[in-house]
Amino acid sequence: MVGMSVLRSAAAFAARLSPLKSGKSAANILTRTIPSIDKVAIRWGGHGKQLFVIKPTDFYDRRFLRLLQYYVLLTGIPMAVLVTCVNIFVGEAELAEIPEDYEPEHWEYYKHPITRWISRTFYDSPVKDYEKMLALVQIEMEKGEMRLKQLEVRKHMREKGDGPWFQVETIDKNLIDLSLKSTPDN
Amino acid sequence: MPQDYEKDAYPEPPRQTPVVDKQTTLPNPALILTKLFYYSVDVPVTTFRGIVDSIQQDRKPVYYHQKFRRVPELTECQEGDYPCYYEAEMQWRRDHKVDQEIVKVVQERLRACQQREGSSYPENCAKALQLFTEVATNYQSRYGDLGAYGSARKCLMKQKTRMETQKA
Repeated sequence: MVGMSVLRSAAAFAARLSPLKSGKSAANILTRTIPSIDKVAIRWGGHGKQLFVIKPTDFYDRRFLRLLQYYVLLTGIPMAVLVTCVNIFVGEAELAEIPEDYEPEHWEYYKHPITRWISRTFYDSPVKDYEKMLALVQIEMEKGEMRLKQLEVRKHMREKGDGPWFQVETIDKNLIDLSLKSTPDN
Repeated sequence: MPQDYEKDAYPEPPRQTPVVDKQTTLPNPALILTKLFYYSVDVPVTTFRGIVDSIQQDRKPVYYHQKFRRVPELTECQEGDYPCYYEAEMQWRRDHKVDQEIVKVVQERLRACQQREGSSYPENCAKALQLFTEVATNYQSRYGDLGAYGSARKCLMKQKTRMETQKA
């Protein structure tokens, strides 16, 4: 029962507990108007008159913000806890000189433990990537050289004609009927 | 605790704190504030750092500074030797990064000097200023207007034009 004064709510409660004591007879006890209407406490001090403020709904906005907060914090808090624990219990690395005859692993060049872990678990070493790139460059270079060489060879074979390319298949010479041209007067 | 900065690079002026000659019984507000700051901020932070250091004491990992071997430059590569071009390009990029960091460090030193000296920086910071102008002009002339897609080749061409204009 929103908007009731303290007095009214007290009367309603008392009426609920013992309906017959609120001054009603048993006949009209089931009517909904259990508290008496003539007691309207307008001048009750404190927060001023309670108003029923009519404003457009903010349910959807508040629901959106609530859900946003929930879903962001769902993974945000575990991640924050994880990163804090890593920073406290597994500290950052310290810079040191490379000892003699020691080749550090590729993840030993990073400072933060999570970066080191990512580099160790997921990434190839930069040396390997470099070599892979060099291999690709080498392959492409060889392909380019092959193509240029092929064009050069084509040119020469076409010109000179004594190579295996650009040979036109001719028929077997035994099949040629030379009787037509065998005598000069034919 | 982590290492402090190099004291010679960022020299501090000599301290001029006067001898305390208190003639009043009034409390010194500066002293009160410093004590307040000390107890409310410095002590908790230092103790926290001490706790964390004691947890991490024995098992600290170590990281190294990677050293790259020098490879032939772009000028020493045969024509058409693309792997050599690639290695020279990578070396040039690493050198470019190093030069950028050098400029940043020199800039930082000049800034620190200016902050220390206040309004008398033109005469007191002359060395730092001269070093910075030299480094900045050199950087500009070498890597200056290469643009976002700068490469070793373009830098070499820029050097060529620079040498030509110098000769002419």
